[in-house]
Amino acid sequence: MPEANMEFLKREFFKYYYENLDQLVPPGPIKNREFGFFLDKSRGMLRHKCFINLDEFHNFVLNEVPLDIYVSAARYEDPSNRDMQEKKLISAELFFDIDAEPTVSESEESAWVCQNCGKYDLGTEDKCPVCNSPVERAEIVNENQLNEALKEVKKLVEVLRSDFGIDENHISVFFSGNRGYHVHVDQEEFINITAEGRREIVDYLLIQGFEEKRIMHLLKNRSFYSGDLKGIIGRIYRMILEAGGDKIPRNKRRILKQINEIIEEFKVKVDPVVTIDIHRLMRMPGSINSNSGMVKKRVRLQDLSSFNPLKDAVALGEGETVLRVKAVPRFNLGGKSFGPFKDEEVELPAYAAAYIICKGLGEYVRR
Amino acid sequence: MDMGENVLRAARYPFLPEAREFVSKHIDLSLESLEKTGSEAVLKRAVERVKDALILKEVRVMPQHESNYVREMLSFPIAIILVSTIANEYIRRIYSLGESRGAYKRLLKESDEILLLIGEKLGVRGVMDSNNLIRIRIPTYLNLAYIFHEHRWKLVNRIVDKGYVWVNRMEYARLIQIEINNYVYEKTLETLPVTAVPQSFKEAAKTIVETWSRLEVARPGYAASEEKGGNPPCVSMILKRMMAGENTSHFERLVVATFMIAKGREIEEVVELFSKQPDYKYSITKYQVEHLAGLRGGGKKYSVPSCRTILANGLCHPDENCRGIKHPLSYGGKNARGQYGVS
Ligand code: SF4
Ligand SMILES: [Zn+2]
Repeated sequence: MPEANMEFLKREFFKYYYENLDQLVPPGPIKNREFGFFLDKSRGMLRHKCFINLDEFHNFVLNEVPLDIYVSAARYEDPSNRDMQEKKLISAELFFDIDAEPTVSESEESAWVCQNCGKYDLGTEDKCPVCNSPVERAEIVNENQLNEALKEVKKLVEVLRSDFGIDENHISVFFSGNRGYHVHVDQEEFINITAEGRREIVDYLLIQGFEEKRIMHLLKNRSFYSGDLKGIIGRIYRMILEAGGDKIPRNKRRILKQINEIIEEFKVKVDPVVTIDIHRLMRMPGSINSNSGMVKKRVRLQDLSSFNPLKDAVALGEGETVLRVKAVPRFNLGGKSFGPFKDEEVELPAYAAAYIICKGLGEYVRR
Repeated sequence: MDMGENVLRAARYPFLPEAREFVSKHIDLSLESLEKTGSEAVLKRAVERVKDALILKEVRVMPQHESNYVREMLSFPIAIILVSTIANEYIRRIYSLGESRGAYKRLLKESDEILLLIGEKLGVRGVMDSNNLIRIRIPTYLNLAYIFHEHRWKLVNRIVDKGYVWVNRMEYARLIQIEINNYVYEKTLETLPVTAVPQSFKEAAKTIVETWSRLEVARPGYAASEEKGGNPPCVSMILKRMMAGENTSHFERLVVATFMIAKGREIEEVVELFSKQPDYKYSITKYQVEHLAGLRGGGKKYSVPSCRTILANGLCHPDENCRGIKHPLSYGGKNARGQYGVS
């Protein structure tokens, strides 16, 4: 990243952290958590960091102005130990990651750069028209994609509540600051589930390893009052009964097809790797995501429907900033629409300028 | 419930907290005094426990044992001491398996009330519902049931509601069995409180080791490869026998195939491993491997059997890297998971 870009980002990030330090509170107890930081883009992650209290952590953030801040979902006896085993796990919050799925976008919402010959343009090209090598696409996450992800979040929260019996007060939803949502669960019994047990939770959410023959059996015997059947089995069984009306479906292939359709609809598309990995570092709540310049923002459960990530998670200032850009697709941020831009000098509010810089699509010129 | 019944129960399930309490209240368990208190009869019974496990994979507790309840309760911590002194990973594992299997059989004969009581005391709390099913908390269930690789144990195939999962009596006893297995195994891993083990204990331990080595020679895979491919010994021993063209059991093939699939090997590579089997037919093997990988039929991927299951099938040959693991995929420990990630 060019020096000027970095200086601009650090200046803006510093301002944000300085003014919002009280919002930057890691899950406790702080002395049992491992922290990780990206201090600049070229160096690897600084990890196994540990702080004895909040002040020490805040001082570190204001001194270093990290590009990204991470904290372990796990609590350890010795979080700064470099050996995973020696850290001595105490417990770990359940952690779910739901990402917006990239969809084919309109040409104005995408830009590309050829790494081979350097050509760039707006559009959805896969191959460079000049040299025919594969290009790198800069895609902007739009509201629709984020809304789809939010639907999955709602499904997840519902399953956590009704099936897993987790109390609302122990479920925290966050917009990750870029392209998805994080859900944290810190209810006592659940933080002690082993990695293997977490794999089972993931399979439950993704409905993997489901035995269709159970449904077949139920349909044949009809021994169960369907209202008694809870969990995935019950949900699928009831759907099939409802769809069939008075007639019980008999054709095995048809039922199987129906089951698969219902599974597609019911499954919660979490990233399996994230939940199973007990030692994972998660982006720190209230911290800036250097892939966008937005913050990882808490969304209260009652606000899930009204939350607008591209507006509510904007964190940086409005100060006019001049950038030189090559090709920047159209994007919405902070309730405004920007671009598309091509080969021009543009004047933008700092948060939008930071967004472009974070996506690697522009160079800072001046304020 | 009178005192007599309680004591009998503690003798029948010596890992219950009340048995531990009884032992610590009545007998000084420091090794110096053991030589005196740990009479010959107790030591003999302790050796019997371990040998039962080695030979029968099940520690039997007969009425004549129970009635001699002091000896019976004491013999358990002494057996643990013997096993820890021997410090042989296989003996640790088979002993834990034996204790838990014996207990399981006894549990099935108990009344519902007692079954639930024992479960509760061991941290596997269950509540009997009107439909004769037992409900337990999901976290409790998950931390025990993942050991079973059959699909019916998967949470997704269970009736689940409001934090509970429902199991039948027999399944409940199975979960308690796993808890006992884990408890006993952890105990055998603990370091002894004292360094000087009495001579009589050393001799007792020796007879156990002798029994073990006699049995070991007869086990498949004995004296198999020392070559290390990063695979756990159970897998590499089956592989070696396969390479030599020896016929292997259905279970052995399941272990190898599911393990390799879980490690991310290509289907063709896995099929190739079976090519020296006497009954090998490419198309059939390929179909079977794809089935295990979840690419056929209902798309259910088969999980790798746990160490416990492999042990129960006589195929566990642990080495020092197996210490403490419950699953072959955890073999190799620290770096096996690779770089850990961020989100
Ligand atoms: S991985 Fe497990 S089953 Fe295999 S040898 Fe080691 S302890 Fe035994
Ligand atoms: Zn090109």
